[in-house]
Amino acid sequence: MNAMESEASAIARGLRQHDPDLLDRLIEQHQHRLLRYLVYLSGNRELAEDLFQETWIRVLERGHQFDGKHEFSTWLYAVARNLTIDYLRKKSPVSLDGLMEDEEHAPLEPIDTGPMAWEVVQQHEQAERIGAALVSIPAEYRETVVLRFQEGLALQEISVVTGAPVGTVKSRLYRGLNMLMSRLKGAQA
Amino acid sequence: MMRNAHDEARELIAQGDGLSSVQQALLRAHLDECEACLHYAEAAAQLVRSLRSLPVVADSRLVRATQMRVKARTRELQQRQERLVLVSLSCALVAISSALTTPLIWQGFEWLGRWSRVPSPMWQVGFVLFWIAPTIAASLMFLAHGTYLSGNRSTSEFRG
Repeated sequence: MNAMESEASAIARGLRQHDPDLLDRLIEQHQHRLLRYLVYLSGNRELAEDLFQETWIRVLERGHQFDGKHEFSTWLYAVARNLTIDYLRKKSPVSLDGLMEDEEHAPLEPIDTGPMAWEVVQQHEQAERIGAALVSIPAEYRETVVLRFQEGLALQEISVVTGAPVGTVKSRLYRGLNMLMSRLKGAQA
Repeated sequence: MMRNAHDEARELIAQGDGLSSVQQALLRAHLDECEACLHYAEAAAQLVRSLRSLPVVADSRLVRATQMRVKARTRELQQRQERLVLVSLSCALVAISSALTTPLIWQGFEWLGRWSRVPSPMWQVGFVLFWIAPTIAASLMFLAHGTYLSGNRSTSEFRG
C-alpha cells in the first residue's frame, strides 16, 4: 500500500467515525482549492461560499461513502459538484450549462488586492481579465479547465469527478483552452 | 471530419503535462517543424501559468464558520445515534417482556372470563383490545410528532 492509499484509508476510517479533528484538518487543507473550484463552477463568490459550507456538511453526513481507493480531493470535488447541480436544480431545473444564466447577474469578484503598487494593479487587471474570460465560457469546459490547470487533477480523476469519459475530458480541455485564448485575444484587441 | 497533425498536436498541448513518452516525442517533432503550433504551445503555457496564479482564497471567517457548523452537525449526528441506540434497546426490552408476559395475561383473561361467566370470544376480544390499545396510542403519538418535525424541517432547510 503506497502513501496516498494509506492516507486515503485513514481519511475513510476517520470519516466513518465522524472524527471532528480530521474534519477540521481537511477543511483547512482543502479550503482554497475547494472554494476556487466552487467559485468557477458557480461563477458567483457568495453562492460558492454557501456551497463550500454545505459541501463539508455533506462530507460529514456521507463520509462513509468514501472508499479510500481514490484521492480524497477527487471525491471531495465530486461531492461539491453534485451539491452544486442539486442546488441549481432545486432553484430551477437546469443542467450545468444553466449556470451561465446566473453568471450574467452575479459576475465573479476577484479578491481585494491590497496595496496599489503598479505591479499589483497590473496583476489584478490580468487576473480580472482571465477571471472574466473563464466565467464567459460554457460551464462544462470551464469546470474541466479549472480541474486540470488550477487544481492539477489528472485526466482520469477529472473523468471520475465529472462522470464524463476521458475522451470527452480531453476534448473539453482542448475546446475550453481555445475558447479562453480567443476570448482573451478579443478582450485585448 | 479528418483530424490533421496540427489538431492532434494542439490536443496534446491542451492536456498539459502527463503525456506518455511517445506522445511527447510526437509533439516535440511536430513543434520543431510547425511555428504556428509552437506559438499555440507558448500561448497555452502562458495561459495555464496565469490560471494557476488566479487569486481566489477562502478567508478565515468562512473556514471558522464551516468548522463550527460541521462540529454542531457532528454533535447532532452523535445525539441521534445515541437516541437510536436507546430506542433499539427499548424495543428489545419490550419484545422480551411481551414474550414473557403474553401467556400470563392470556391466562389471567381466561380466568376472569370463567369467573365472570362471559363467553370465550368476548374475553378474547377484550384481551386483544387490552394488548393493542397502547401500541395504537403510541403510534398515533409518534405519527403526530413526526408530522410536526417534518413540517418544521422544511422551513429551516438551507438556512445558516
